[in-house]
Amino acid sequence: MKIKKITIFSGRNKQGEKESFEKIEILAGQKIGIVGPTGSGKSQLLYDIEKLSQGETKTLRKILINDNKVQKDLRTDPARKIIGYLTQHMNFMTDTTVQNFLEIHIMTRGRHRSEESTKELVEKIIDSANTITGEEISKNTNLLILSGGQSRALMVADLAYVSESPIILIDEIENAGIRIKEALDLLIKKGKIIFLVTHNPILALDTDKRLVMKKGAISNIIYTSVKERGIANYLSWINNYLLNVREEVRKGKKVEELRLICTPVGGEK
Amino acid sequence: MKMVIFGGTPGSGKTSVIKFVMQELKDLSIHYAKFDVLTTEDHLLIKDKFEISTEKKISGEICPDHYAALEIPKIVEKHKNKDLIIIETAGLCLRCSPYINEGLAINILNILAGKPSSYGPLLTHADLVAITKGDLISQAEREIFRSEVLKVARNASIIEANGLTGEGAIDIAEAIKESPEIKGKLTLKHSMPTAVCGYCYGNKTIDSEKTLKRYSLGKELKARIPNLNCGKCGFKSCNEFIRAVLDKKVNEDTCPYLEGKKG
Ligand SMILES: Nc1nc2c(ncn2[C@@H]2O[C@H](COP(=O)(O)OP(=O)(O)OP(=O)(O)O)[C@@H](O)[C@H]2O)c(=O)[nH]1
Ligand code: SF4
Ligand SMILES: [Mg+2]
Ligand SMILES: [Zn+2]
Ligand SMILES: [Zn+2]
Repeated sequence: MKIKKITIFSGRNKQGEKESFEKIEILAGQKIGIVGPTGSGKSQLLYDIEKLSQGETKTLRKILINDNKVQKDLRTDPARKIIGYLTQHMNFMTDTTVQNFLEIHIMTRGRHRSEESTKELVEKIIDSANTITGEEISKNTNLLILSGGQSRALMVADLAYVSESPIILIDEIENAGIRIKEALDLLIKKGKIIFLVTHNPILALDTDKRLVMKKGAISNIIYTSVKERGIANYLSWINNYLLNVREEVRKGKKVEELRLICTPVGGEK
Repeated sequence: MKMVIFGGTPGSGKTSVIKFVMQELKDLSIHYAKFDVLTTEDHLLIKDKFEISTEKKISGEICPDHYAALEIPKIVEKHKNKDLIIIETAGLCLRCSPYINEGLAINILNILAGKPSSYGPLLTHADLVAITKGDLISQAEREIFRSEVLKVARNASIIEANGLTGEGAIDIAEAIKESPEIKGKLTLKHSMPTAVCGYCYGNKTIDSEKTLKRYSLGKELKARIPNLNCGKCGFKSCNEFIRAVLDKKVNEDTCPYLEGKKG
């Protein structure tokens, strides 16, 4: 299913008052930030989107895709699900290698065509995960010993190449150990729509708009300015610089040179 | 009246999920019963939160699921004016799981607790499987787990639920509202294993001869009592009565129905 647009029709806040907008439209390839204090309704909004709610949740919001309601199996069947979720916790419990795990997931998603194609896909996922994390993942690494950064990188690459859900929800992903902006760029390159709950400025200031939550309602919509994007780029450069120095330290090298001049990684957008 | 049975291993999130589901069912009059082997406080938690009638049912010496099957008709009779009876099982016996055909059988399945293929009827005979604790692992593993559940519980609908956030509660409440009213005789979804050896009659020594002897004595006594589980002897079930007799804790004529009483 090709997704061009998501529309959120307003619902009600915790006091039962109507949200102050009629509808919000989001187009393919856009990143939407969700910000606000604890208890302001961020998770509930993600939940409404994940459910593609039709007024049955407590906020009464309605969510349409390409101006239509969505059939139930597209919400739940893992082989067809259109919504992917990147949660805070990315622990694994299966005692197996990265390669084997990815193969099982490829099967589950109904994406196995031939042994050859699956093998290629696995390699592609691991390669792109390695562009996101500093500590290299090999296909024979056991899942259970992956570090936090490696797990996050692997799951982002998995979302990009295996899950292929066109809509992705991200709940407070940590940036420790990964090039976080590159991670999202990988997902956006595939034309996905991303909703992310985050207060990490590298991410929040690099969105297309931010939904500001208050008392359970979307109380404001901020369109990201060019200046904010520039700040995000700069912060992302610092984050990646930190990661590189960290790698030098890990490899037992001496860090001799202090780099002060930033060359923005994402280029100007 | 509707009836829903929540089965699931200890700590899988049954009570947590039930609380969110009940939030969605506030317009119904509900009775809640929790079965457990030794002790529980779940009935107090639910009572505190919703101010409805709740009870605990402690099975002691018998399989908590066999016990539940024995008690369910009594609970139904006593609360027949209610809209809904919610039963939370002890969840210790994967084999027995007292699901009934007439009501709704929900398995609360902890995603961290092992392979779906190793569960018995607790999972395979559920009408609805609510997978909990998915928040603790990656989406990829959640998807894999879900497809493994579908392999063994082919006809069940599957919901991703969460006992901390209430995710999935609306769908479970929906399924309860759509479930049929129970009427007439209730039937188990599958037969339960029988008491088949001396250990079932309370034998503790690991010794085949003693076990066999205990079994024949137990069987002989069982043949003479009417197996009503009526409780007149002071025990919850006939089996417990038989154990006590074999342990010489009570006299067999404590059961008023005993035929061919020894003089
Ligand atoms: N992370 C997480 N924890 C959960 C979830 N559901 C329940 N828990 C936690 O798991 C523990 C056990 O939950 P209960 O609801 O008491 O489990 P139960 O199945 O009723 O347990 P028994 O009645 O003793 O068999 C509690 O600490 C809950 O907070 C979930 O979806 N995610
Ligand atoms: S009185 Fe007799 S029939 Fe009734 S429960 Fe006890 S043993 Fe069973
Ligand atoms: Mg409980
Ligand atoms: Zn049993
Ligand atoms: Zn036995």
